[in-house]
Amino acid sequence: MAVDSEARTWKCAKCNVELVPKKAVLEYLGHTVSHEVPACPKCGKTMICQELAEGRMSEVEQQLEDK
Amino acid sequence: MDIRSFLDKAAKGRWGAAYKILRDATVFPGIVAALCDQPCRQFCQRTVLGDAAIALRDVEAACLRYAKDRKPQAYVIPPKDKRIAVIGAGPAGLSCALNLAQKKYQVTVFDRESGWGGGLRSHPRFAEFDEELALQFSAVDLEFRFDSEVKSLDEVADFDAVYVATGADGESFGLLESWDKNLLTTSNPRVFMGGEICGVTLMEGIAQGITASKVIEVFLQTGKTTRPHGDHDYAEGCGRYLDHEGEVSVPLVVPSGPEGYTEEEARAEAARCLQCDCDKCLAGCEMLRRFHKDPQRIAREVYTDMVVNPPFSTRQVTREIYSCNVCGYCKSVCPVDVDIGALSQFSRTARMSAGIHPAALHDFWLREMDFNTSEGAFASAPKGRETCKYAFYPGCQLGAANPEYVLRSYDFLRDTYDSGIILGCCGAPAYWAGDQARLRANVEATRRRWSEMGEPTLVFACATCESLFHLFLPEIPRVSLYELLAASDKISPAQPYPAAVVFDPCAARDDHGMESGVRELAGKAGVTLDELTEKNHCCGHGGHIRIANPSLYDEITRNRAEASDRPYIVYCVNCREVFASKSKECAHILDLVFDLPVTPRVPTLQEKRDNSVKVKRELMKQIQDIDFQPERHEWDSLRLIISDDLQKEMDQKLISEADLKEAIWRAETYCDKFYDEKDGMSMCSLIKPVITYWVQYRETAPNTYEVCSAYYHRMRLGQKE
Repeated sequence: MAVDSEARTWKCAKCNVELVPKKAVLEYLGHTVSHEVPACPKCGKTMICQELAEGRMSEVEQQLEDK
Repeated sequence: MDIRSFLDKAAKGRWGAAYKILRDATVFPGIVAALCDQPCRQFCQRTVLGDAAIALRDVEAACLRYAKDRKPQAYVIPPKDKRIAVIGAGPAGLSCALNLAQKKYQVTVFDRESGWGGGLRSHPRFAEFDEELALQFSAVDLEFRFDSEVKSLDEVADFDAVYVATGADGESFGLLESWDKNLLTTSNPRVFMGGEICGVTLMEGIAQGITASKVIEVFLQTGKTTRPHGDHDYAEGCGRYLDHEGEVSVPLVVPSGPEGYTEEEARAEAARCLQCDCDKCLAGCEMLRRFHKDPQRIAREVYTDMVVNPPFSTRQVTREIYSCNVCGYCKSVCPVDVDIGALSQFSRTARMSAGIHPAALHDFWLREMDFNTSEGAFASAPKGRETCKYAFYPGCQLGAANPEYVLRSYDFLRDTYDSGIILGCCGAPAYWAGDQARLRANVEATRRRWSEMGEPTLVFACATCESLFHLFLPEIPRVSLYELLAASDKISPAQPYPAAVVFDPCAARDDHGMESGVRELAGKAGVTLDELTEKNHCCGHGGHIRIANPSLYDEITRNRAEASDRPYIVYCVNCREVFASKSKECAHILDLVFDLPVTPRVPTLQEKRDNSVKVKRELMKQIQDIDFQPERHEWDSLRLIISDDLQKEMDQKLISEADLKEAIWRAETYCDKFYDEKDGMSMCSLIKPVITYWVQYRETAPNTYEVCSAYYHRMRLGQKE
């Protein structure tokens, strides 16, 4: 039951500002990859949407586990 | 030689391909096909059917006649500066010399005679062999020094390596005593030896020459001597097995003329090959079939995996070893007891010890184990007693599936056997995760508890627990609950249930008491029982593969659910859960014994936790008159509204309600979340040591939240750029 969080306008509750796309570094099993994700421009808090987590991220996780 | 492959190609008339196999394996096929005494024939599986063994030498001779191009291949590789002296130009020395020359080493062959051939020079067919040697040496450069008898190794002191193959009565330079028949080494590190001087036959000499060339090459490259990979001694047979069922007898093809087989006859004789190979484990195991790997390959890869240097090499078997149910099926059908599960366990343990395991694959069950060995644990002799002769060990899942299973069974055991109780975890999650430290700690804690209770006989309801105790706590006497129930006059199961088959869990494979107890109970309940063709096949739960390989898990569980049209009677709650989730009609044997409603519904993760707490609370009250208060969290009072579909999805992904409550409570308390002003939708995460959970939700009333989605990832957010 994927919810399309991309169509929404998310704000950081703490900073009360809209999220902007930002490159984030993702780490797993000693490897790092970078990906553009929505993040708070003020505090830097990053959001991972369901589509990314269960799509590309899951694929990369499996690839890294198989390495 | 890969005889099966050679005969397969020969049977198809692919003489060129067959010749390549023959040439690569024997170096001098024209000599081998003429003189080999065919030791392979005594192992040929045709003989088991009463037929003559395959006439391999005759098919080889036919191959030489019918292969169109026998010209040796010249390899385009750079020349090497290492020099090797081969002493003796007989077949043993020449096979070594030819192989090294093909690899562009600088080879010099010495012989006291005026030409090559060694002992073959006096053979009546030498002219033919001479032609064969000339053909095979036609594509390489090397030096022959005939009429040159080497009397002392000092004469070849300037060579990097020396191979002594001086023939039956040849010079051994005093090295025969120190000769190693496996490595072909001698006490002189750069001198190797083989062939008839070492007491082997001419054919074995050729084989040793080939092995020597590989050993020498490794020595020249690394300074070490090791047996080359894939080389092994066939003296005890080829190690292949065949199920002869259904195979028909086919008589030997006799050549119609004195020259040997015609092409058609040779093909017919080659086609008699049974292409024997045992595929019993592959035939029955979805995991082995999925990865298309035979046991030998998995064993090799597990070994390679152990010796690799993590940052510089690629692992090959991660998914396979974490996809194994460790159910013992392969071993049970294997003629030589090969256990792929043991290999998987070995690899999982090694990875965990080295800290290179994918923790996410077993995290859920290890967290469950933590709960069941702490908050969910309880051990006591019966009320008013310090020790007992029997103690019930229901296992962590029995009460989680249905508290009545444990409570009613305990009532029976307490009344009949004055039994105590141990609620805990057998350690299966740690075992399957390869977490030896956790497993050992649990074993020690269990042993201590058992000892304090007066070393009672433990009564098991779960075959997995029973098998783990058998492995790690063998000193503890064990008996199955089902045997005790079946033996009791007080138990008279009478619930009507249709004709069914018993689905025996994989862990009960060697537990005949458990198997027969369940059948007796079902019989008492009046159930007409049938047996599955394939017993003790894992339902899919074993080895905790569900996260590592969801699609394989799905395939296995579906196959088991479809193994019979009849409803199942199970005695493992994990099997029950698997089949209920596949909508397969099934009942736990305790449903029939205690006349409990047979419900197809699987409790949610949260309900299972609550059930476990309920069992502990009731038993503590009953035995020790203590009101057990589980640990409370600030987020426990939150109320979550979760749709049935989402609940199903969460259970499938192993996301628990408790984790979502904690995430929402933290987000709301510390305002640590994202939100959408439009409709008040919120989004937050909870970072646990291995998994990061996300939940999208909205507040519908004070302290009440509707969950819209829940998911997780294993990656960690690192430093921001």
